[in-house]
Amino acid sequence: MSLPPLLMRLPRRLRASGPPRRLWWSPSLRTLSVGSWRAQSSKAPAYWNQVVSEAEKIVGYPTSFMSLRCLLSDELSNIAMQVRKLVGTQHPLLTTARGLVQDSRNNLQLRGLVVLLISKAAGPSSVNASCQNYDMVSGIYSCQRSLAEITELIHTALLVHRGIVNLSELQSSDGPLKDMHFGNKIAILSGDFLLANACNGLALLQNTKVVELLASALRDLVQGVYHENSTSAKEDHITNDIGISTWKEQTFLSHGALLAKSCQAAMELAKHDAEVQDMAFQYGKHMAMSHKINSDLQPFIKEKTSDSTTFNLNSAPVVLHQEILGRDLWIKQIGEAQEKGRLNYAKLRETIKAGKGVTSAIDLCRYHGNKALAALESFPPSEARSALENIVFAVTRFS
Amino acid sequence: MASSWWRWRHGCSWRPAARTPAPGAPGRQGPPAPPPAAAAAARAQISCFYLVKSLTSACLNMYSISRLHHTTSAVFCYSKPRSGEKYTDPFQLGRRYLKGLYEDIRKELLISPIELKEMSEYYFDGKGKAFRPVIVVLMARACNSHYNNSRDVQASQRSIALIAEMIHTASLVHDDVIDDASSRRGKHTVNKIWGEKKAVLAGDLILSAASIALARIGNTTVISILTQVIEDLVRGEFLQLGSKENENERFAHYLEKTFKKTASLIANSCKAVSVLGCPDPVVHEIAYQYGKNLGIAFQLIDDVLDFTSCSEQMGKPTSADLKLGLATGPVLFACQQFPEMNALIMRRFSLPGDVDRARQYVLQSDGVQQTTYLAQHYCHEAVREISKLRPSPERDALIQLSETVLTRDK
Repeated sequence: MSLPPLLMRLPRRLRASGPPRRLWWSPSLRTLSVGSWRAQSSKAPAYWNQVVSEAEKIVGYPTSFMSLRCLLSDELSNIAMQVRKLVGTQHPLLTTARGLVQDSRNNLQLRGLVVLLISKAAGPSSVNASCQNYDMVSGIYSCQRSLAEITELIHTALLVHRGIVNLSELQSSDGPLKDMHFGNKIAILSGDFLLANACNGLALLQNTKVVELLASALRDLVQGVYHENSTSAKEDHITNDIGISTWKEQTFLSHGALLAKSCQAAMELAKHDAEVQDMAFQYGKHMAMSHKINSDLQPFIKEKTSDSTTFNLNSAPVVLHQEILGRDLWIKQIGEAQEKGRLNYAKLRETIKAGKGVTSAIDLCRYHGNKALAALESFPPSEARSALENIVFAVTRFS
Repeated sequence: MASSWWRWRHGCSWRPAARTPAPGAPGRQGPPAPPPAAAAAARAQISCFYLVKSLTSACLNMYSISRLHHTTSAVFCYSKPRSGEKYTDPFQLGRRYLKGLYEDIRKELLISPIELKEMSEYYFDGKGKAFRPVIVVLMARACNSHYNNSRDVQASQRSIALIAEMIHTASLVHDDVIDDASSRRGKHTVNKIWGEKKAVLAGDLILSAASIALARIGNTTVISILTQVIEDLVRGEFLQLGSKENENERFAHYLEKTFKKTASLIANSCKAVSVLGCPDPVVHEIAYQYGKNLGIAFQLIDDVLDFTSCSEQMGKPTSADLKLGLATGPVLFACQQFPEMNALIMRRFSLPGDVDRARQYVLQSDGVQQTTYLAQHYCHEAVREISKLRPSPERDALIQLSETVLTRDK
């Protein structure tokens, strides 16, 4: 990775060469340059966990399992019992459910945590004093906490709906049809149940602008998931014919919109003005993009990856690789990596690593990280703001 | 409960000219809803069940279907239309105010992935009955007339009509995937054409578009009223998943499911337009009760038609409920006469031949007649409620509409 282009991409005020602005506030306001990364010597997962657990302390309670609470506590629906019937089948809902319960890196209820942090970072509105009667705990209004939960509900609902199976595409290896059908049924109902809870929660907030924001975020998310699914069956082993800017639009829909609009909605609940709302939106959007690119990069930067680890052919590094190389050449490379009709992911991975896709993706990740940090600058310094910065640092580190 | 029947019958001569409900009017309106006291509701349902049983067993031959709609006006008189306008078909009257309904819904679904847009628009082709939007706009005008003699439908009220139809369609799309249905309204279902994954997304999209439209109305009360519907729809589906052992519980369970899956949307949409049109909570309650009773009647007749109609007329296959393992009104009534059906109900008609056997039992029994009679009871409750509003062509149309519910054949 070459240094000058990276530094050129940093906004002037964040370059390591000059004195970082407002350094006297917080020694943790680091810039995204190579030098400062080496200072973080702990391994990625441990650092991430540390960042998250500190953030949770700042917002006052653990944010994990927010959306599960309504699922498990509702006696009438007893979804947990229905899901248990799926044990032994191959329906994706089981994997989703397991993932929700286990504390995996990608599923730390991140959105809810970020919404809470940004609520705290923004504090009460200096302009509008009409929120003085709202409850506030640990610097966050109860309506904002509710919003954080609603965000997680919407996210989880679509996560569950992503796991629906097309019955006509099933093969004998997938198991009995009726299990898949039953799994679909429970998946739809659970997802709808979560959405219904989200809608009720939104109604209770008594703020129509917030309802509109989150409803439009849901619409964006549905479109985003649709794009994710839309690789045609024939071209299963080929990247979509899109460039990186289309990829960014689709990824905004599937990963950025919900967080961005929730952050904005949190500001609206506290009656902050349009400028603050926009900054919150920008933070949410860019942080979510960085997070997604980081997650896409994992198969390419981990030192020890087993040969059978697959990766998504529509992930950021691959799309960039295709764009740089040109589609025809990329398809040729895919052809060369196929052995007896199966794709040799290890070989393809090496091909991609040899190109510029991975480094471009890292740059893109940092670009979005910088934008997220820039958005944070308009918030007053605080523990919560530092936690939000640390989250950006955590998703843009590639040591 | 029986005493209220007699009071109601003798109340035939009661002129509903009073603006507010007469203090002496029978207060019984069927099960309270939303039922916070589920036990009270269940008792009401059960007593209703036994009332129907006792009345119909006494006068069985009088209530055969073919005679029902002829004897209706004589035996159960309701308020005659008082307006001077010509007595038109309520659907025509309603549809006049709904011109462009489906185009407007399609505008709400304008999004870029073309296939997703096509899937979402699939049922908004103008060929559905538009039953719910018609009720909503008629109720809007009836309430507006009642309140301030204005007969215009506000833009926000018209929005509710769109939103109701969108929420209904979103739930249909998901229900078709859940039931693995292959046809609806005379054409293939979304899941059969595009697959289950995309069908679920299309349903979610329609729901999000409905929510955005709802938020734009800008009224937090209305948002609360309609989000309750979304929750009820899901809970109704869950109720359908489970089943009750006890015969009495089964009927209460069936009525609760009917309310949640069908009546809640109609009741709450009516309430929402009344909130937008008029500040009087008495009117809101009237609108709600009309919608609720009509909705339950509508679903009961739907369940009857599943046995008595043939597939072409309905646009969807019949005996569909039995094939899904669902015991609806006619089945539950038939079970009274043929206790052998209990075993069939318990195993949800899962063994080969169960569906046909059950169907035979039902057709041999008076299950269909009894369910129709019960639907009639709910219709009359609806009429009783709406009659409390000031006369207007729309109020009369709503009264007439309830009769249409009873006599429809698809």
